[in-house]
Amino acid sequence: MLKKLFNKTAIKPIAALLLVGILSGCSSSASVQVTSDFPTVLSEPKPVSASIVFDESFSNYIAQPNKKTVIDLGTAQVKLLSNAFNGLFDDVEFVSDPEAVSGDHKLVIIPSIREVQVSTPSDNYLNVFEVWIKYNLEIKSVDGETIDSWFMPAYGKTPDAFMASKSSAIEEAAVIALRDAGAKLMLDFYRIPAIYGWMMEQQILEESK
Amino acid sequence: MKPTIKPSLNPISKLSSVLVLVSILAGCSATTTIDEYRPSGEAIDLNADERVVVLGRRDAGHYETDREFINCVAKRMQGADIGVVPEQQFIDSIYPWFEPRTAPKGLPRLKRLMQDPLIKGQVDQQSVRYLVWLDGSTETLDQGGSISCAIGPGGGGCFGFAQWDKLSVYEAIVWDMTNLQEMGRLRVDSEGTSYLIGAVAPIPLLTPVKNDACTSLGNQLKSFFSSPENP
Repeated sequence: MLKKLFNKTAIKPIAALLLVGILSGCSSSASVQVTSDFPTVLSEPKPVSASIVFDESFSNYIAQPNKKTVIDLGTAQVKLLSNAFNGLFDDVEFVSDPEAVSGDHKLVIIPSIREVQVSTPSDNYLNVFEVWIKYNLEIKSVDGETIDSWFMPAYGKTPDAFMASKSSAIEEAAVIALRDAGAKLMLDFYRIPAIYGWMMEQQILEESK
Repeated sequence: MKPTIKPSLNPISKLSSVLVLVSILAGCSATTTIDEYRPSGEAIDLNADERVVVLGRRDAGHYETDREFINCVAKRMQGADIGVVPEQQFIDSIYPWFEPRTAPKGLPRLKRLMQDPLIKGQVDQQSVRYLVWLDGSTETLDQGGSISCAIGPGGGGCFGFAQWDKLSVYEAIVWDMTNLQEMGRLRVDSEGTSYLIGAVAPIPLLTPVKNDACTSLGNQLKSFFSSPENP
């Protein structure tokens, strides 16, 4: 009976399957779709109205930081930034085309991504996966005059865990990077010198004090 | 003729087996040291409606205070009738003010944050009286030996010997969220060696360094607080 069970013909396919399983586990490519939800920001919005333009390339953005890694950030970054802008301005409209801006809002903001970078433990010799997302915010007044083009880098990292997949580690690092983008926006937006100057000009700071 | 009873193992062999076993088991235990500082020797009073939140520091470049360790310490404190708010729940409720970029590193920044009525309101709503910051990591220091495994149609097995040292270093800082002051600090160092023996089947002899650090730190933190149920 045992002989039958362990004869060579029976073992060969099992060994082959085991080998394929082991090799697929060692695969170094990662395709990640960030589907996380984000908490509502805890902030009192200032009396500023703004139109936010999430164009199609931004809403459907898929990053390919290297040949082996693909990160679908589009939906998640729109969710995160919508939430953050609602915490910054008391009157916000979201449009998908600059032509669709109503003209009733004082600011027009067009976010875009300059670059996404990923670093894995095999790259950095540390036990962490890292994701950098470099955003750019094109900030204009309603009459089309550029107020500032603000570079907004965001960073997230997650520890390497035994037997955890590369995809889930990169997804977690991307979620942390997105949350960091929200934090950076909330912390620094009104500290941008050009925005501060514009608000003084519009006498918004006096109103909100 | 008297019957003779032959012992199955002579006393020297027995003694050496016991010594080998004891040395293996002793090698698998961690050495843990705890340093504690608090301004007064008395336990901190925690009312029944007051809770504690344990948060991990994640702003260092090369390591992260892992969530598993935070949850482990929080569970040990919960076991002593101390109300503990889950880490992620607290961070989400107060987003984005306790993210790695924005979390207060010191009391002056905490005081500024708590001046915001929205933030103070959330902290009060969850009855968070004390905040415990945990900062640290577990690292592999030295590793030696080698073990190789092979598999073939006729069977497989592992042969060799490997060992590695692990060191856990964590620091806890307790902040009072009402009086906005530091209530004390704890530091735990735990070190131990693990072995993997390949004798056809791999035999792991693992030292639970991180678990020891968690147990020691959790127990010591429990002694920081006195609740009505557990004075």
